[in-house]
Amino acid sequence: MERYARGDEAAFAELYDAIAPRLLGFLRKATRDTFAAEDLMQQTLLHMHRARGSFIPGAAVRPWAFAIARRLVADSARRRRVEQRLFSDAPADDDRITYEPTAATALADDLVHARRLESRLQERIDALPELQRTAYRLLQQEGLSLKKAAEVLGTSVTAVKLKAHRAYVALRAVLRETEEA
Amino acid sequence: MSAELKARILRAAAAEASPTRAAVRRRNTFISMVAAFSGIGAFVIFAVLMSESHLLRLGGEVAPQQRLERPVWLVIATVGGALGVAATAVWLALWRGRSMLGRSRRPLLYGGVLIPVSLLAWKVGCSIAFGDAMMAWPERPGERCLSLSLIVAVGPLVSFLAIRRNAPVRPALNGAVMGLAAGACAWVAVDLWCPVAYVPHLLLGHVLPLFVLACAGALLGYALLSVRTR
Repeated sequence: MERYARGDEAAFAELYDAIAPRLLGFLRKATRDTFAAEDLMQQTLLHMHRARGSFIPGAAVRPWAFAIARRLVADSARRRRVEQRLFSDAPADDDRITYEPTAATALADDLVHARRLESRLQERIDALPELQRTAYRLLQQEGLSLKKAAEVLGTSVTAVKLKAHRAYVALRAVLRETEEA
Repeated sequence: MSAELKARILRAAAAEASPTRAAVRRRNTFISMVAAFSGIGAFVIFAVLMSESHLLRLGGEVAPQQRLERPVWLVIATVGGALGVAATAVWLALWRGRSMLGRSRRPLLYGGVLIPVSLLAWKVGCSIAFGDAMMAWPERPGERCLSLSLIVAVGPLVSFLAIRRNAPVRPALNGAVMGLAAGACAWVAVDLWCPVAYVPHLLLGHVLPLFVLACAGALLGYALLSVRTR
């Protein structure tokens, strides 16, 4: 990013290679829609491209990218809600693509159980409040530190800990229910 | 990851011009100069139109036949202190530290509280030390200082927003602090012009514009600095 900010145009491809896979993963989980995730990733990277001149030397790139992506996800969800309200005849956003784990060697029962569990966990994650969900994803799925996740969310480290803890409690409850069933 | 997606994004980036760091520095320098000239120009025009005799009003008529002269040392002390607070406010509003996401919520909130409090405390403290300036001026309720503050602060506020351009987190709070910083800059100009240190006058003419500018900054920050889908 530093080279790109100084004007090295070729550095953008390297920047893409460095952050795009995780960013796309984050956006896919947030939107559960491959096309929307790709579109939002393009917008995130173009936003970084436009702001390259104001890049601070030595600043962390990943929290910045995730913060932009998170805002874009929230804004696109808000737009979708407004559009659905305006054009109530429009079909609901139910053509989401979900990614299923491949377990070629697993037994059929285990596979069914794993899919059911994954589906229930995913439903629970989707039902979490936005801040709890994003805190959980940034810490557990993207591997960000508490400090960086707090920067992305625009809150304190303590608040991130609390939100992630609430998400863990909710997910643990799903696991417990599944075990009991 | 599809190669097609990468090619599409690289093509889109290549098609859209974006300034490099050197270009952004030049642009920000130009914006700062325009803002400084607009603030100084607004102050000079206002002060010439509104002052009966001279630009730097060190004193004035408290009531018919009763004049008060403001000591030069009082002017230097109040303006100097206000200048220090304004410089700190601008630093707080524009300097992002080592993070692209800017300052965390706490310093911004502390700044938002401390900027108006310290400006008022300094003005009142200095005026108490010099005595006479604290007296009531019924003919100067503060509406002219309110107008001057708002007129002088417009240029700096717009320039701060133009320099920052975007804030992926806390855009409204960042905008509010920019409004306060612009108000602090305007406070320095108003302090040069206004000899009144009567507290109700200060609250209406000097402190109220800070809150108006903070609210305007918050609204503009939310509207202009937020990251939005296209």
